Amino acid sequence: MSTTPLIHVVDDDPSMRTALLRLLGAAGFEARGYSSTGEFLLQPLPDRPGCLLLDLRMPGPSGLELQAALLQKKIMLPIVFLTGHGNVDSSVRAMKAGAVDFLTKPVKRDVLLDAVERALARDATQRAAREETDQLHVRFASLTERQREVFDRIVAGKLNKQIADELGIAERTVKREREQVMAKLDANSAADLGRLAEVLRRSTAK
Amino acid sequence: MRWLGVAPALMAALVLGCIALPLRAAEEEARVLMLYGLDPYLPPFLAMDKAMRESLASETGRRVVYFSESLDSQRFAMETLEPELAALLEKKYNALRIDVVVAISRTALDFFGRHGERLWPGARVVYVGFLGYEFKPSALPPGASAVLSILDVAGTIDIARRLQPGARRIVVVSGVAEVDRRAEQQAREALAEPDERIPVEFLSGLPLPELEARVAAEPPDSIVIYLAQFRDRDGRPYEPHEVLRAIVKTSRAPLYGAAESMLGLGAVAGSVASYESRGRLVGEQVRRALAGVPADPSRTVLAAPNRCVADARALQRWSLDERRLPSGCDIRFKDVPIWRQYWWQIGLTLTIVAGQAMLIVALFAQRRKRRLAEQAELAQRAVLARASRLALAGELTGAIAHEINQPLGAILANADAGDLMLDSGTDRREDLRAILADIRRDDLRASEVIRRLRDLLGKQKFERTRFDVNEVVSDLESIMRAEAQRRGVVLEIRRAPETLTIVGDPVQIQQVLINLVLNAMDAVADESEARRAVVVSVAKGETGAVLAVRDRGRGIAPEHRTKLFESFFSTKRNGMGLGLSITRTIVEAHDGRIWAESGPDEGTVFQVELPLAIANGTPSPQPA
Repeated sequence: MSTTPLIHVVDDDPSMRTALLRLLGAAGFEARGYSSTGEFLLQPLPDRPGCLLLDLRMPGPSGLELQAALLQKKIMLPIVFLTGHGNVDSSVRAMKAGAVDFLTKPVKRDVLLDAVERALARDATQRAAREETDQLHVRFASLTERQREVFDRIVAGKLNKQIADELGIAERTVKREREQVMAKLDANSAADLGRLAEVLRRSTAK
Repeated sequence: MRWLGVAPALMAALVLGCIALPLRAAEEEARVLMLYGLDPYLPPFLAMDKAMRESLASETGRRVVYFSESLDSQRFAMETLEPELAALLEKKYNALRIDVVVAISRTALDFFGRHGERLWPGARVVYVGFLGYEFKPSALPPGASAVLSILDVAGTIDIARRLQPGARRIVVVSGVAEVDRRAEQQAREALAEPDERIPVEFLSGLPLPELEARVAAEPPDSIVIYLAQFRDRDGRPYEPHEVLRAIVKTSRAPLYGAAESMLGLGAVAGSVASYESRGRLVGEQVRRALAGVPADPSRTVLAAPNRCVADARALQRWSLDERRLPSGCDIRFKDVPIWRQYWWQIGLTLTIVAGQAMLIVALFAQRRKRRLAEQAELAQRAVLARASRLALAGELTGAIAHEINQPLGAILANADAGDLMLDSGTDRREDLRAILADIRRDDLRASEVIRRLRDLLGKQKFERTRFDVNEVVSDLESIMRAEAQRRGVVLEIRRAPETLTIVGDPVQIQQVLINLVLNAMDAVADESEARRAVVVSVAKGETGAVLAVRDRGRGIAPEHRTKLFESFFSTKRNGMGLGLSITRTIVEAHDGRIWAESGPDEGTVFQVELPLAIANGTPSPQPA
């Protein structure tokens, strides 16, 4: 897995697309161009950090429609919108749906590169968060049945004695299982466990 | 014929007259015999006769019956014919009383002297003589009166010498008939005056060709006096005017005549008596004679006055100065008097012409006014069409901005990329060249969009050119597509495979197209995605180019169809209701027609048919 980010440029105007690819290339980014939303969706998305530079208005499905489709597919690629003539309505829709920025052509270099940087930063954050969650799931999967029961009750705020009573096991056993859970999930306290539980709940609820 | 019928009645009247009405018959009818010594049809006689009759008719209550006899002495020798002529006249006038005999010329007076008593008993004589100087009152019969005119050779020569002070010679032309000789005699007497110092030559009775040659040989500083020539030395008779006409043609020297009728035939001037005044004098004498007024010895001989008469045309021909003429000279045939002579005809004509001119001026003024009104209307229509285009452009702002910002964005990105490449320090000349090429292309692209917009919005006037309808569609395609994308409408454009040339204003046809496309997009705005489609097509129809815009909207409500193209009618919330009305105005100004077909749930198709341009000679649409 390459760690250098890849910027996807979707713009139906070949001239604009070429210019953007050149600029991004000169600014040291790796970029790839697509002439329509369809073309972008048909290509397999490489597992690399990156972002999407998306023209709002194109023949066929528009940029906003691509944004909606990606959300639905849980592809968390940050999007910077570029438009020849934006209106309030479409910019609000784009931002609400999680766009990093909504830029109007012609766009200044600094503004564009800044937006791209922010998108990549967000992507990095998202990727990091996702990695943490993934690890958490792996660790969580290593818990035994008994340990999961103990974990659920610790997170629910119950004391060792209460847990022992509920599970019909010795308090000492609860204590030992608890240490095991803490070690496996790399947690230091009950509060830490609660945070992890929240992360797990949210990621499985999606 | 009439008097033959009257004669028996007269006899009866005489019989009855002894008892009751002795004067009645005499008063009822006056008989006047015109006895001519010469040809009565000579112009002077005709003019005089006419004036005399008019004068008599207006001053006598009685009916006057005229008889006429001619002795024709200038052509026939009286001596041999006289007995037979007298016998004939005696037979003719045997039972006819003649009241007055007008004896014209000396021959006639002499004839009357010899036969009058017998032929026309009781008749009084009025003598009309032409050579007044030689007349002796004792020659008149008792109770006779005379109207004499004077052959004023002296006066005529005087006028000639005034006009030609440097004249070297005088030539007098006359014939050898009795009357000719007497005229010549008078001339000789007049020229015998002691103060006449210049040589005088008489040309008497020359045959016409010889006379013509002789006169033509005269130098311009001679004076030629034409008296009259009734007969030449070979006995050939002439009509005096005919001789004058012949010699006047070739003469280099000015010709003068002593008779009124000679003026107007080419003679320059003369001291002449007017025939008309002479005729009136004769008429008066006849009237007096008929009325039985006793002859007044002191007024027995009346000379019609002579006066100076000149011919302006002849004066001009011989370059004579009319100011040298005696004062009061009657200059005839001047150009000016025409309007005096025909003043009322000319006045009427001028009035009619003036009336017509005024009418024409009024019509022109009216036409001008109408043209101005038409121009104002055209200007107003152009302004309205432009306002409507501006409104259309307002609706298209988004699409327009997109079309301009697209190349501008590319230009900026390319420039920035180039900048960064230069900063990097590596030699990327080929890339930079490509960037510059792209910048150039995009710049032109942006300016092309602006040019089209300027064409669409900037122009005020109607222009007429030949263009392909397909071009209008192509010109607007990018903006219409951008607008369609903005609205989420699928726009399909079908051009005609062939060139469809029409004549008109391409900008106005673009306006028609934009209007119809925007309307179509409005019509499908609230439809499901599958129905949000607009098709623009150009095709060759039966009679012209057909531009069709089809949508899949809800169609036009039947109650709206009739009002579709009316001004200020709109079903849109924000519509002004001018779009279709202006569209129709434009189409009609291009001699085309526009119509709409619509069915429920079938959508609507607006079609515009425009006449194709003929290869040579183009139809001429009215400016809109």
